[in-house]
Amino acid sequence: MLNMAQGGLLALGGYIAMWAMQAMGWPAPLAALAAMAAGAIAGGLIFVAAARPMLGGEGFETRIFIATIGIGLMLESAILKTFGPQPQAQSLKLEGGIMLGQVNLPWQNVLIFVTALLMLVLVAGMLNRSRLGRAIRATSMNRDAAQLMGVPIRRIYLTILMLSGALAALSGIMISSMSGLLPNMGADPMLKAFIICVVAGLGNVPGAALTAFAIGMLEAVIQYIFGVQYAFAILLCLVIAVLIWRPQGVFGHKEVVRL
Amino acid sequence: MIRSPVRRDVVIALVLFLLMLAVPLLTGTRYVLTQLTVFFIWAVVASQWNLVLGVAGIFSLAQMALFAVGAYATAMLAYYIGLMLPAAMLLAALVTVGVSLVIGFACLRLKGPYVALLTLAIGQVMYLLVVNDTACFTTPASGCLPLFGGARGFSRFGDLGFRDLFGSKWYVGHYYTGLVLLLAAQLFCIAIIHGPLGLVFRGLRDNPGLALARGVSRMRYQLWVFGLSAFFTGLAGAFHAAHFGVVGPTAFAFAMLLFILAMIVVGGLGTTWGPLIGAALLMWADEGLREVSDWREIGIGLVLAGCVILFPKGLAGIRFRFSQGRGQKPDAPPAPPPHTSPV
Repeated sequence: MLNMAQGGLLALGGYIAMWAMQAMGWPAPLAALAAMAAGAIAGGLIFVAAARPMLGGEGFETRIFIATIGIGLMLESAILKTFGPQPQAQSLKLEGGIMLGQVNLPWQNVLIFVTALLMLVLVAGMLNRSRLGRAIRATSMNRDAAQLMGVPIRRIYLTILMLSGALAALSGIMISSMSGLLPNMGADPMLKAFIICVVAGLGNVPGAALTAFAIGMLEAVIQYIFGVQYAFAILLCLVIAVLIWRPQGVFGHKEVVRL
Repeated sequence: MIRSPVRRDVVIALVLFLLMLAVPLLTGTRYVLTQLTVFFIWAVVASQWNLVLGVAGIFSLAQMALFAVGAYATAMLAYYIGLMLPAAMLLAALVTVGVSLVIGFACLRLKGPYVALLTLAIGQVMYLLVVNDTACFTTPASGCLPLFGGARGFSRFGDLGFRDLFGSKWYVGHYYTGLVLLLAAQLFCIAIIHGPLGLVFRGLRDNPGLALARGVSRMRYQLWVFGLSAFFTGLAGAFHAAHFGVVGPTAFAFAMLLFILAMIVVGGLGTTWGPLIGAALLMWADEGLREVSDWREIGIGLVLAGCVILFPKGLAGIRFRFSQGRGQKPDAPPAPPPHTSPV
């Protein structure tokens, strides 16, 4: 399922981490855990409020998409009302860096890189190796068949929504530590993440990681050569060209439609 | 007496049209008439978007970008070439159809919600290109003007000429223009929905596998519905530009897109009258919520999510839903129409 509230969850994680450190005075690891817990709870609420009543109903994909747009809008407005519209700095941040030759590498970037890599490996390992991962993959391939085989799809959806909520919250902390906190900060990363998933081919975690890296590099190069304002536009034209060439994505397999 | 659904819908459309014709004679207040004019515009956009989203089942969010293309094309044609506004509006609608076909060709290879995000991204790119464009294209008296108007947009590109015709009552002219536009768009929708094209669109939506097996080309017909609905969407954008006399990047705003999407979903996806009911209801609610404008976004989000979850068929589908719930068969099933629709 496509969760359009993901951008809101990103912002939620960032703000909760800041609030936990500033208002509550918690140490950084605890603040990160609190943010992830908030993300997981929000994900669980999305399941209870939207996904569970619709599961098995007609047009699930379309309806959940629209419903999560509404939920994301409410979430962002709630953050806006609570924390105000001014951009704020993320408190959870490492200071200093290391000099590698001529290049200053901030510890913050190292932390982000390591965390992202760790999460990727964990998610990919969980999806490919564990029983839960197999159930998740089965549900995404064919929900009805998975249910007939005894996969408890409701619990799978709940788990997935909570897990992705927690991961979104963690990414929100990392992104806001670089660019600052804004209630609608999740919109751009969400759009980009989605484009990466489509280009890579859906449901392919290593492919998505590779594509994310390639697209990030490409964007930096385009920004350097043509200027910042054209980067996203040129990138999108390339993406469209790729999709016309391979609608199933670069790493995806051609889908066989059965009646 | 009225058996065929086409005749029923056309009769409803004409009766509503006649009722609305009389409104300026009964209440002359400018507030009511301009408010209704804006309603006509959003109702046209909602009904055309519904053709793509509800009837054909293509999850496109490009409709607001197409609306903006219509508005911008009108302003640019009038501003740069000095075209009369009615001519500029018609030409702009055709430009919108062209743009929609390009977008459609790129996006329709994808499926389902993946179309949604790519079309959304395309709208976003158009917005960024317009706003970030700061190079001067011309330098009128007011200063520098980029090719697409930049962050300020266009103004003073002419009007529809009703100020000369009716003087201070010019808004009555706009009211009737909007009304005729809505009638034309709605009759067009009725013709599509009950006609053979509507059957093909619904076939591709409900069972793409079977439709493909029967020799229906998915790409070709989805491009058809994309291009056809773009015409009136572009025209609505053009009329929006003419009515307000300004065109700016707010035409691309995500909040506006959600507002129109909410109209369709609340009214009833894929129904003939749902988008109009939804447009009327949401605009009325929005006017009422003006005093608590802080809560507007939360309100729209709540309405959007709540309606999808509670009323899958929208308000237009509630009667049907209730009668089914009591275990009765509805006396006149709304779909499907006979194979030989007299359109």
